[in-house]
Amino acid sequence: MPNPVIYSKEPEDFYYMDVNVPCQSACPALTNIPAYIRALYEENFGRSYEINRMANIFPGVLGRICSRPCEAKCRHGEAELGRPVNICHIKRSAADLRDRVSSSVKRIFSPTGKSVAVIGSGPAGLAAAHDLSTIGFSVTVFEALDHPGGMLRYGIPEFRLPREILATEIDQILGSGITLKTGIKVGTDVPMEDLMTGHDAVLVSTGCYEPNQLNIPGETMPGVYSGLQFMMDICAGQMPDLGKRVLVLGAGFTAFDCVRSALRLGAEEVAVCLRRTEEDLTVTEDEIFETKREGVKIHSLMVSRRIMGNGVVEGVEFMRTRPGELRPDGKSEVTPIEGSEFTLPTDAVIVATGQRPQPFDTPGDKNNHGLLQADSASFRTSLPGLYVTGDYLTGPSTVIEAVAMGRKAAERIARDLTDQPFREKVVRLEDTLITDRQRAWDFLPRQEMPTIEPVEDRFTGMTGEVETGYSPDLAETESKRCYLCYLHYEIDLNRCIYCRYCIDVAPRDCIKLVDRIETNTSGAITGFEETSNWEDVNAIVIDNTRCIRCGECMRVCPVDCISVTRVELTERMNEKGI
Amino acid sequence: MSEEHFVVIGNGPAGNQAAQTLKEKAPEARVTLISKEREGYYKPCLLPEYMAGKISEDQIYLSTVDAYKEKGIKLRSGQEVVDVKPRRREIVLDHKEVLRFDGLILAVGGRPRIPEPLLVFRDLMMTLKTLEDAKTWIEKISRVDRVLIIGGDLTSLAVTKALIALGKEVYFMLDENAFWPLRCNDDMFQDVSDRLSKRGVKTFYNCKLNSMAQRSEHAVEVRVGDDIFEAGLIGAFFGLVPNVGFLARSGLPLDRGLLVNETLNTGFEGIYATGDCAQVFHPEIRDYWVSIGHDNAKALGRTAALNLLGERRPVDVATESLFDVQGIKVNTSWWMEF
Repeated sequence: MPNPVIYSKEPEDFYYMDVNVPCQSACPALTNIPAYIRALYEENFGRSYEINRMANIFPGVLGRICSRPCEAKCRHGEAELGRPVNICHIKRSAADLRDRVSSSVKRIFSPTGKSVAVIGSGPAGLAAAHDLSTIGFSVTVFEALDHPGGMLRYGIPEFRLPREILATEIDQILGSGITLKTGIKVGTDVPMEDLMTGHDAVLVSTGCYEPNQLNIPGETMPGVYSGLQFMMDICAGQMPDLGKRVLVLGAGFTAFDCVRSALRLGAEEVAVCLRRTEEDLTVTEDEIFETKREGVKIHSLMVSRRIMGNGVVEGVEFMRTRPGELRPDGKSEVTPIEGSEFTLPTDAVIVATGQRPQPFDTPGDKNNHGLLQADSASFRTSLPGLYVTGDYLTGPSTVIEAVAMGRKAAERIARDLTDQPFREKVVRLEDTLITDRQRAWDFLPRQEMPTIEPVEDRFTGMTGEVETGYSPDLAETESKRCYLCYLHYEIDLNRCIYCRYCIDVAPRDCIKLVDRIETNTSGAITGFEETSNWEDVNAIVIDNTRCIRCGECMRVCPVDCISVTRVELTERMNEKGI
Repeated sequence: MSEEHFVVIGNGPAGNQAAQTLKEKAPEARVTLISKEREGYYKPCLLPEYMAGKISEDQIYLSTVDAYKEKGIKLRSGQEVVDVKPRRREIVLDHKEVLRFDGLILAVGGRPRIPEPLLVFRDLMMTLKTLEDAKTWIEKISRVDRVLIIGGDLTSLAVTKALIALGKEVYFMLDENAFWPLRCNDDMFQDVSDRLSKRGVKTFYNCKLNSMAQRSEHAVEVRVGDDIFEAGLIGAFFGLVPNVGFLARSGLPLDRGLLVNETLNTGFEGIYATGDCAQVFHPEIRDYWVSIGHDNAKALGRTAALNLLGERRPVDVATESLFDVQGIKVNTSWWMEF
């Protein structure tokens, strides 16, 4: 008899997932990370890839360029436990090591007879288009540029994201039955009104293509580049002549892509200049490390005042900054320090301080900047059938956030057009077998991503991928480090005889004698009060935040009162869906 | 009402001076000094001489364990702080003990810096920051004839002298970016190179370190520019960086070091940083600086302690001349001390 599977929508189960599987909770797309890591460990690379793809349509792409919010929450990164699991690299390994077969999902439901136009083929637009197409909508994607992919294709250099990887995953998405029309700028080449008339819904996901400016003297001088335009030029195959010294002003992924691209264009002294500190960077640790290895300097606590030069850039005048109060986003306010002006000489300046959406000709209520307004929860605009998602809605976000937003918008549109839910989040519970995870695996060091060595070999062109990928052995070793937090070990107190054998074999302080269990209003366990006084013991519990899933407790239990359940936050197709 | 508990992290000159000042000025308070190293309070700049056998281990110590007891300071040696929770006023130790504090002074000092391009060779390179490092050098040095020194900080010069005194052949690879805290130029290199050559040291300047590979237990093959040679030991000397990595999750303001204002406060009430982990804006050089050197550290330790006890003394900033070495402005002060 197979184990029964329970699908729960109880608040306490969602709470459990939120607290106990921190990597998945941190992922904007709620990717089932422990499950795909386990599948990879079992050498089921295709399955690992598909688990990923259920939540995130770009496993191969995001396995290279994800901002990795999951790793910041990984239990392996807690104070005494070493460094987080290299989740992103494992994701990439699944894509690298799987059999090369198409992963296109064909239609799950019968055609709805309704059509949706998606404007923009970046990650949000493609994610929305994919979800809508697979549940039976006729979807057409309009792209202003020559090729699909948006910022993935035009904003990220090839040495971080090979174009064949991107093309493969875009083809998989389009393979679900989507029609793609490139080179069409909606609002210019085709009126928005025509799209709204011809489709049941229109989704705007045109991203952010308007670079922010510094508004300082000298910014229009030859030799000053916008970071976004600079990267778009590079991605389009152009090779600007920057000179020997380059300063990049900015702190995001684009700024780092600019400095590394500048080196590949032949610049010799390249620095990125930050208003805050290296600690405040949202760029991944690996990216910072590789950037420094390539020879880029990182200057912190400075703000530009003017770009100097006589018809051509000669330097930038800065002021030192002082960090102040922390903002809600965790970054600190910075204030310039009076009298701290200083100058750095340079031949070129690249301003990579972010970008914002571009207004275009469309009906619907707009804000002060001429941008279509929409509700961030429902994605609806003032006009029925017109929706907005992705960076156009929120301003610049990460790729994984854009994918998550695109999918949410798709579900909203589908429900609005049919009055039916299609996908729903559920907690899936299934009794499972004891794992073979060993205590020794806790001490495996984080497996670093191999890169092109020596560093000089990276500069022979613009396209050589710096990170060369895990070998199967490295991928397996790294996957062993995962604590598999989605496995829930539990003691049945009705059968427990309090022999405490389990405590004796526990590799860490993961099994506890407790006086009192604390619960929240939804009934979820939020904590417990430990006791060392035998008279006060009311329960014996497994602390799943400390458990390493070695199964030793189950093996020694004389009354077989410990069970393990696989608990997964996943998606279920709604039976009521058309 | 329970007594106030002040915690000082770091057993160097800044930490010791801070703890001592706290106990002197607030004798009723409980003062705990936490040291990652098991050894007592010693002078790291004497380690090369100790390595050369010119002085004994006893001669490098500045204080005994008993001296802490006499001063009423609780010394916890061999204990590592892994986290600080400023809002909860707690520190977490490696063995999971949580200590509460009313006031905290971070005097965690620096750790050897190895530039990112050379980190791939880190397992083949030795540093010299602690007494334990010195003992490792002593243990290994007797088995080798040739040592390669890479870098160019002042410890590297002191170690080179020690190695020569021990009869070792020394190769010295000096990089313009490694002559910490200065940027080496041709004239400076010539000056240093001449002095080293007179002592029989072979020098390399601005040559690329292509590779290192362990060939046997006591031989590493090194490729520098077009030269290939073997060295028994390789020392990396690129100065120090503030040892503040363990504070990454704390919410304390970090840049290269712990960012503090002119009174050494971190922005959190009752939490100060001092010594060579504290990064302060210096109005004369228009840059942030980290003070290095025994006497500077002691002065800063005292200032931090007094400010924790309620004063608002600004840190003594060095005069501009101190930063002007051969026409080059540097943002540290220790160069002139040696």
